[in-house]
Amino acid sequence: MGKPVSEKYFLLSANRMERLWLLAKIEFKLRYYENKLGLLWALIKPLLDVLVYYIAFKYIMKQGMPNFASYLFLGLIIWNFFVESTTGTVQILRTKKYLYEYSNMNKMEIYTSTLMSNALGFLFNFLMFMVFFNLIQTRGLGLSPYNLWIIPLFLNLYILGLGLSLILSCIYIVAKDIHQIWQVFTQVLLFLSPIFYPIDKFENALPGFKYLNPIAGIIVNARKVMMDSSPPDYKLMLADFVYAFLLFGLGKLLLNKLGEKASEKL
Amino acid sequence: MSSELAISAQQISKTFVLSEDSHNTVKHRLFNLFNPPRNRKFEAVKPMDLEVRKGECIGLIGRNGSGKSTLVKLLAGVYPVTSGKMKINGHTLLMNLGVGMSHELTARENIYVSASVLGLRVKDIDAIFDQIVDFAELSEFIDTKIKFFSSGMVARLGFSIAVNAGADIMFLDEIFAVGDVKFQEKAVKVFESSWIEGKTVILVSHSMDIIRKYCGRTAFMKHGNLVYYGDTPKAVEMYLEDNH
Repeated sequence: MGKPVSEKYFLLSANRMERLWLLAKIEFKLRYYENKLGLLWALIKPLLDVLVYYIAFKYIMKQGMPNFASYLFLGLIIWNFFVESTTGTVQILRTKKYLYEYSNMNKMEIYTSTLMSNALGFLFNFLMFMVFFNLIQTRGLGLSPYNLWIIPLFLNLYILGLGLSLILSCIYIVAKDIHQIWQVFTQVLLFLSPIFYPIDKFENALPGFKYLNPIAGIIVNARKVMMDSSPPDYKLMLADFVYAFLLFGLGKLLLNKLGEKASEKL
Repeated sequence: MSSELAISAQQISKTFVLSEDSHNTVKHRLFNLFNPPRNRKFEAVKPMDLEVRKGECIGLIGRNGSGKSTLVKLLAGVYPVTSGKMKINGHTLLMNLGVGMSHELTARENIYVSASVLGLRVKDIDAIFDQIVDFAELSEFIDTKIKFFSSGMVARLGFSIAVNAGADIMFLDEIFAVGDVKFQEKAVKVFESSWIEGKTVILVSHSMDIIRKYCGRTAFMKHGNLVYYGDTPKAVEMYLEDNH
């Protein structure tokens, strides 16, 4: 009471930022610090993924691509963020019900903080990728100013993940089996994204498909800016931002329409 | 008490749709496109107007199943209303057995999360942290996940957060009915102290002594209808009559 509107607004948003960070930290801790190896898991998991696919594609399928391990590595960490933010949040309105069940908290904060926690995980993996690509697999081209394009590309990935997370979790309120349906869908998407195939083979087999699959577009562009020292494909990037914002808009719409039913339906 | 409104509700109502089949899946919906499930409607809260001024302590009474808890959830903004308009001016906190705590988190984490959701800054939470822990008598178990707590310990922690961090508008649903005698005494003591001054409180209770003592105005509900809203003694009298 009595505080000027601008100060009140500042206090409110400062409180919100603190809360988002607090929730993200706790989420991150719950995921990694609960087990014996702690944060090491955040590092071991992508390394093991890379190892499995590397053996399969390099030695069994005889994939002769240079820097193949780094190629896989970058594709997989982007894919993992996508899966954690979508499949991993389908039930978010149920698992995080304690946050809004007793108060009129804004549900959007629950999504933002969970994705922030996933982003922290991505950051760790990304730093590992940088070390691996630049110091271990030294046939790479090294650092380049084009690497900075990864920031808007990640922002694109974040908005895409947030939009799909909103859509899936709102559908979950009225149809529980969306979880299983989405799991099958992501399995299909995994094989329709250029994660373990060389990009030219992917494009020959499915011409233009990278424009239909936003996650494919983001992976293609991330490899361009991080590994080829070249600018991103701007047209592709624009298309992926359009997808991300459209899905985010749809997700917000669904949250406004269905979200308030969550406390009585879940 | 000020003349500013904390809650304003116009013609609000709540109807629950009770579906006869428990499955709620895409498959079920697809296979039953032309055979919609048989639903039964239940009007838990019938259209009513209600206004609560800032700083007021309002009683809410009625027999079991009269719609008190549903009304509280509507007024707290937890459930959406089926019809009518609601305006809530401030943070709300609904307290019955808990205040929204995760059993996967420790007592410490729950304190920070809950208090932050109620609008407190981290430095303010730091300042009242010990107070919350001492009041709940849980200092030994502060870094234990609350899933290992007894229900009494969880209730104490919830109550302590509510008392010390409190929201602008507090809904207290039968808080005097839980916990042991010591806990109840504590709850009453809080009411005797200056804690509720300046806060808007909606108190649901079957204890007419407490309602008479603390509530300026009281609402009496029956079968989802707001039968009376006004002077406490009259509302209590109507409730007691209804029980005979």
